[in-house]
Amino acid sequence: MPLERESATYREKLPELAKHEGRYVLIHGADVVDTFASYEDALRQGYRQFGLQPFLVKQIQSSELVQFITRAVEPRLRA
Amino acid sequence: MAQFTLQLDPANGPVLTVVIGVSVARGDALMTAGQPVPAGISARALIDTGASCTCVDPSILAKFALTPTGTVSVHTPSTGPAAHLAEQYDVSLIIPGAGAHHVPLALPAIPVMAADLSVQGIDSLIGRDVLRDCIFIYNGSVGLFTIAF
Repeated sequence: MPLERESATYREKLPELAKHEGRYVLIHGADVVDTFASYEDALRQGYRQFGLQPFLVKQIQSSELVQFITRAVEPRLRA
Repeated sequence: MAQFTLQLDPANGPVLTVVIGVSVARGDALMTAGQPVPAGISARALIDTGASCTCVDPSILAKFALTPTGTVSVHTPSTGPAAHLAEQYDVSLIIPGAGAHHVPLALPAIPVMAADLSVQGIDSLIGRDVLRDCIFIYNGSVGLFTIAF
């Protein structure tokens, strides 16, 4: 499953990352690369450093913010 | 500030044409890898104040051969009482102005969620993550909507 390892790394490192709440973390495999002020900055660094290999960019939230869509849509969920 | 007014779509309401493409950062990575950068695709997008994040139909995302770069917890009427984890893809989004004299709203990178929308006659939901940079006026009494950015 794409980003499975990176998602696990995020969950594992969240207690340490929480001090950067609101910033965007770049994760590749088991490595936390850095945190960034903006989504775009983190994404740019991810592509610059890892090219087209998988990496995760995620806003650091100690409590995961749930996105709501009130329209009846079928989102593509992770299995 | 660019501002334009369009007629409400009889079936879907505030629908406008946007251009969705790979993010600028991914485009740069594709060029570095010697791969072609796919051209942006025009899409019918519904402005949806009930969506906290922007969604794109998977048929469009598939044309860019994207791999996910994010995950998000999402709750929709179809997911039941609990939130579920969905993948996010980085894309660029352009809302063109109504004419050549209008400056478009160009977002070089936003995370979007894949959601089956084409059956509803649209390709994308423009959520509040994009609307936070806009003024949106829904004037149902005259069948028009205005967007300014």
